[in-house]
Amino acid sequence: MSGIINLRLLEPGTTISLSDGSTAEVVSNPLDGVWVFARYLSSPNDSSVVGTEEMIFAQNIVEILNTP
Amino acid sequence: MAASGNGGYQHGLVDMATGQVSREIFVNEDIYQEELERVFTRAWLFVGHESQIPKPGDYFVSSMGEESVLLCRDREEAIHVFLNSCRHRGMKVCRYDEGNTPVFTCPYHGWSYAADGQLVGVPYFKEAYHGKLDKSQWGLVEVAQLCNYKGTIWATWDASAPPFLEYLGDFKLYLDLSLDAWDGREGGTEVLGGIQKWLIPCNWKFPAENFSGDSYHNISHRSVDLVGIGPSGTGRRDMQERQMARRVQICFPERGHQTGVYLLPKDQPTPLAYQHSPVVSEYFRHCEEERRRRRGEWGRLTGSPGEIFPNTALHPRQPRTIAVWHPRGAHQTEVWRWYLVDQEAPPEVKDFLRQYYIRYSGPGGLTEQDDMENWNYAHAASRGTIARRYPYSYEQGMGFEVQNFAWDGLQLPGVVMDITEAKSSEHNLRNLYRRWAAFMEAESWDELAAWRRPEPAKRTNGQSDRS
Repeated sequence: MSGIINLRLLEPGTTISLSDGSTAEVVSNPLDGVWVFARYLSSPNDSSVVGTEEMIFAQNIVEILNTP
Repeated sequence: MAASGNGGYQHGLVDMATGQVSREIFVNEDIYQEELERVFTRAWLFVGHESQIPKPGDYFVSSMGEESVLLCRDREEAIHVFLNSCRHRGMKVCRYDEGNTPVFTCPYHGWSYAADGQLVGVPYFKEAYHGKLDKSQWGLVEVAQLCNYKGTIWATWDASAPPFLEYLGDFKLYLDLSLDAWDGREGGTEVLGGIQKWLIPCNWKFPAENFSGDSYHNISHRSVDLVGIGPSGTGRRDMQERQMARRVQICFPERGHQTGVYLLPKDQPTPLAYQHSPVVSEYFRHCEEERRRRRGEWGRLTGSPGEIFPNTALHPRQPRTIAVWHPRGAHQTEVWRWYLVDQEAPPEVKDFLRQYYIRYSGPGGLTEQDDMENWNYAHAASRGTIARRYPYSYEQGMGFEVQNFAWDGLQLPGVVMDITEAKSSEHNLRNLYRRWAAFMEAESWDELAAWRRPEPAKRTNGQSDRS
């Protein structure tokens, strides 16, 4: 697992894992250090969110899986 | 009411029968607090210019009274003005001056808002709020009304205030002197460069009254005239066009707006100006020619300082600028100054004007420094226990106002004082305070919008029902 993640460094295309076990791909980064816009790639709890975009809160991101 | 022990506002602290105004209205902190409620929440206030937010996501942090506000453009390119305060715990959602952002994020708990004001991001929404917070109820607070008038953005918190053009009334003609292109086409201005912002240790009404039409303080600027900062190298502006004109002051008693104007004689072309630059001089010569062609007799009119109630000052020409006197306590004003140019003017013209404007106005401008020094010490000398017992005199020119003023074939709307021979009058200043006192006492816009009330019916003996 990564240490504290600097959100401002997450570029579009980066895949991340979330605190609820989901994975997502960063679509855009407003560079406020609080949110990224990401598209769900997988979700163990709610498969209906896969493919949808959402604002992901900094403290819900637990690991960087892949960088572009 | 803070004024109740002094006979009220309209018949006590501001006494238009004698032309006297109490110093209390400038230095009394209780009156200041009432002003924030009775004036700045109800009037139309200048917020910024559309050229400052050209693209979706652009924002400019402005001020309305003491409130910080966001002037921004959303994804659909609509313009909004929001209170810069998170709905959760009040933290400012933007602490920069201007920029571009897809969301405004509160740094305290992370609530985030789109540029249309909607709450779009709530940390732990599913976990901590169990998905139950109704985000649609917690968007940024938006102004009640907004108006984009020829690029200038105005807003009010009061849903019952008249629409902006009605609020202006016939003063619109004079505002257009600042906002229309100098060749007479409608609109076509842009903001030049950045906004100058600075603090003066005085009440906001000192600068507001000065720009309403203080025609008496030329002695203060004598040294600036001697230095010759003007665009033709003499005086502080090109005066020839004024010296051949009628100089008049105009006010609108029911609205509280006032200005000075110069009216050139019929068939008199505007003298050449901006002689320090052949390119600029030719530009304005051409503009003046086009202006007369497009505007006809109205092309004879040029503006001088004016004020839209309560705190937006206009200076249509030499320099061309809009200022807002933001209240920052009874004893401090934060001035924001925008400089305007014709959008289509050549770069050399814009650059020449930029240099002239900042020689003249702003914290580094010679003329403005004279004014600020006066306001600073006038305010300081009025705060004392003894000083505040003695009213100021605003009697100059009382009783010499004219309705239906016309000269050389042109009739000007408003109540007019021709000061060509008189040199000065305090007619416009009285108008500002008369309107200020009305705002301080009126309970609603029903009282303030006197022009909406039908004229009283005349009795058969010629008297009205109200007599």
